[in-house]
Amino acid sequence: MSEKTVAIKSRNSGMMRDALVRLFRNKAAILGLIIIVVLILSAIFADIVSPFSYDEQDLRQRFLAPSAEHFFGTDEYGRDIFSRIIYGSRTSLLVGAISVTISSGIGTILGAISGYYGNRVDNIIMRLIDVMLAIPNILLAISIAATLGPGIVNVMIAVGISSVPGYARLVRASVMSLRDQEFIEAARSIGANDARIILRHILPNCMAPIIVQATMSIAIAILSAAALSFLGLGVQPPMAEWGSMLSNGRAYIRDYWWVVTFPGVAIMSTVFAFNLFGDGLRDALDPRLKQ
Amino acid sequence: MRDKLLEIKKLKVIYSTDGKVVEAVNHIDLEIHKGEALGLIGETGAGKTTTALSILNLIPNPPGKIVEGEICYNGQNLLKLSQKEMRAVRGNKISMIFQDPMTALNPVMTVGDQIAEVIRLHQKMPRNEAYIKAQEMLETVGIPGNRLKDFPHQFSGGMKQRVVIAISLACNPELLIADEPTTALDVTIQEQVLDLMEKLQKEFNTSLLMITHDLGVVAEVCETVAIMYAGEIVEYGTIEQVYNDTKHPYTRGLFDSIPKFHEDVKRLKPIKGQMPNPAHLPVGCNFADRCPDVMPKCRESEPVVIDVGQNHLVKCYKYVDGGDQA
Amino acid sequence: MSTLLEVKNLKKHFKTPNGLLHAVDGVSLKIETQKTLGVVGESGCGKSTLGRTIVHLLPKTSGEIYFEGNDITNINKADLKALRPNMQMIFQDPYSSLNPRMSVFQTISEPLIINRVETDRSKLTKRVFELMDIVGLSSDLANSFPHELDGGRRQRIGVARALALKPKFIVCDEPVSALDVSIQAQILNLMQDLQDELGLTYLFITHDLSVVKHISDDILVMYMGKMVEYTSSAQLFKNRLHPYTKALLAAVPIAEVGAKKERSLLKGEISSPVNPKPGCRFASRCAHAKDKCRTEEPLFEAVTEGHYVACHYVKEINQL
Repeated sequence: MSEKTVAIKSRNSGMMRDALVRLFRNKAAILGLIIIVVLILSAIFADIVSPFSYDEQDLRQRFLAPSAEHFFGTDEYGRDIFSRIIYGSRTSLLVGAISVTISSGIGTILGAISGYYGNRVDNIIMRLIDVMLAIPNILLAISIAATLGPGIVNVMIAVGISSVPGYARLVRASVMSLRDQEFIEAARSIGANDARIILRHILPNCMAPIIVQATMSIAIAILSAAALSFLGLGVQPPMAEWGSMLSNGRAYIRDYWWVVTFPGVAIMSTVFAFNLFGDGLRDALDPRLKQ
Repeated sequence: MRDKLLEIKKLKVIYSTDGKVVEAVNHIDLEIHKGEALGLIGETGAGKTTTALSILNLIPNPPGKIVEGEICYNGQNLLKLSQKEMRAVRGNKISMIFQDPMTALNPVMTVGDQIAEVIRLHQKMPRNEAYIKAQEMLETVGIPGNRLKDFPHQFSGGMKQRVVIAISLACNPELLIADEPTTALDVTIQEQVLDLMEKLQKEFNTSLLMITHDLGVVAEVCETVAIMYAGEIVEYGTIEQVYNDTKHPYTRGLFDSIPKFHEDVKRLKPIKGQMPNPAHLPVGCNFADRCPDVMPKCRESEPVVIDVGQNHLVKCYKYVDGGDQA
Repeated sequence: MSTLLEVKNLKKHFKTPNGLLHAVDGVSLKIETQKTLGVVGESGCGKSTLGRTIVHLLPKTSGEIYFEGNDITNINKADLKALRPNMQMIFQDPYSSLNPRMSVFQTISEPLIINRVETDRSKLTKRVFELMDIVGLSSDLANSFPHELDGGRRQRIGVARALALKPKFIVCDEPVSALDVSIQAQILNLMQDLQDELGLTYLFITHDLSVVKHISDDILVMYMGKMVEYTSSAQLFKNRLHPYTKALLAAVPIAEVGAKKERSLLKGEISSPVNPKPGCRFASRCAHAKDKCRTEEPLFEAVTEGHYVACHYVKEINQL
């Protein structure tokens, strides 16, 4: 009675398990993952971890150099830069995560529809995407943010929408290559409708590149958000955000190096970590890409 | 007896990936004489292509590695040659035809450039002479010489395979290795290509190693045949010996598996089961689990290769001591 | 014997950048219940397109299709959904015909879920295991994914998926050509057993003449979208009449020593039927072609009882 002994697992396991094994063998990816985990933890527990509050001003202690009390020194209002960087990770990670969710969601839907139906639908969607691609990413984000007005939510929307084209193109390409596979025909021959074919058969098979792209673009989103804040279109004071910290500190760069260096290092290492992890994910999910 | 051109002795090739070691080719011996056409038959994963790539020392390393054995070409061990010396052999003395003519040609080079390239690589020859030679080669394989400046996409599948053959024969190699050269082609085109290969092989007195899964193709083109199973050669002899006096149960199974063209068979007799996982080969004979004639000792130790008469070699316990099966 | 499927003058044309591709150009056929019709031809002859058009995976250009006597040519969406379970398909490539992200269980159960055949979870599970048993897959493979299995087992999954809806008619598109010979024989035997046990009717598409001879009752030979010869399997192999069929059969390498030394080389290559010229499509490669062949299309007609050939000079060539 072997029938009874076989429990039916409902979701994928084999392929994902293999991918995880490969991922954990990649040291660079693990380094990236560790940095990301530390960032996430410090963002969540910012209240506990940081020695000061992000908006705690002490004008008598302006521009203090890094010391045991203020690890990264203080800024022009005497706020603790270390604490502001920790609080800033909240904003940055949130902006990164949400804007990537927006862009990958919209991009995937558009790309899937475009690639699956082809012809006129494809033409309309892709020309729209081409128009968006014709405008430099950051310029598009600036104009969207400028239209919507400054603020953290608008930054997320601006950054999210500006990177939709990348996903749409990526998903469209993989959908088109999958569309002619025999298993899609097989699904049609057993009576599956378009929605089921797209959701059950096509999208799960193009998840790997989407996941990789998302990880990589979290880094880009964080940079874009920082750039918007740097231009004054993003997060408003006194909220801590790495880009605006850079922007505010740039006037003092000659005399007080730490005011800009530490936010810069924070951005750099976060972007670096996401890129490392994204690279590792790509190799793990699609071992054929790596020779 | 003709002179020995190539002799493979106790070749063993392993692939190691993710900590698993796969013995792709396990102690095989093969001989090819001058002008001989040897067929190497086996199913997917039997180690045919690995054997071919070993001869040219083209095993991708990592993950592959030749761990034992010798490949003697005119008495010289190819495995001992430096990369530079080996490059002088490839495409010149020994050349290879790959299965898929669609991917074997560079799409952005004209076929003339591709044929001339191999000639100029191996023979110090001025450019224009190489092109004249290239044109001759095209005509030899039955393509009009004026198509020299055409790109691969302007040719059909059968024509492309002819171009591939022209490239591989351009330097008059002594040995031609053909890895499933007609599998991607339609039967009527396959017929043309086989005919061409046979003609050219006779004309240039080239030795041929024909790798295929098709018993019919070997019957048409080859004189001797080796049957491979799970990295080993299980039966080896002339076409007549192996086809008319089949000894090994696996070879027997292969013949029983193909639908007969000239007689009516209601039901095929397939070989039961699947090829063993190459990472976990069984103790004893690799074919034991699928063999209709399996004996207890087949599962205990590996049979040795024995000569059942006039160099008809079989690796099976059935024929040890004149056969002691029930 | 009743006729299960009848196709009359079916055409399927595709628009291509170079012109109109006449992939299937006027094919008529009839398959009796529980019989197998083999369709042979080389690549580009339209055999796969024919199969897909019959089961409505591709829309036809013109022609009529009858299933169990009912005209299903211009069937609407709802009726097609009801008809689907009766007409299934087994695909060529056991690698690309299975969704790599779905387990064996998910793949086999999908048709049952989509068509709401089994809504009860335990009955569904039971039915899937039953199907796996029928095609000879051990039940502990239920959670395996296609990439973990070899070609033969994958093709068994494809067969189980096609059988799930208890079809009467299955189009088999080169179901064994991607498999090794020893596995090919296993699948061929399985398909014959299933035909006997479940009363299936097959349209068996292949380029392999030995396979088609083995499995078919009747055989249709196609060339560039056209029917060339159509007769019983036994008759075709004993007494083929069309020059193309003769060349095709003569080209098959036989696994016997000295089986054949005469090569009846067919000159030229197969071109694709884009904007085909008038006349016989085989004329440019045919050794017997005369002027008439290049201008006038031969009719597809019975030469002897139940033996149809499209050739102007079939009588002369065969001294009939």
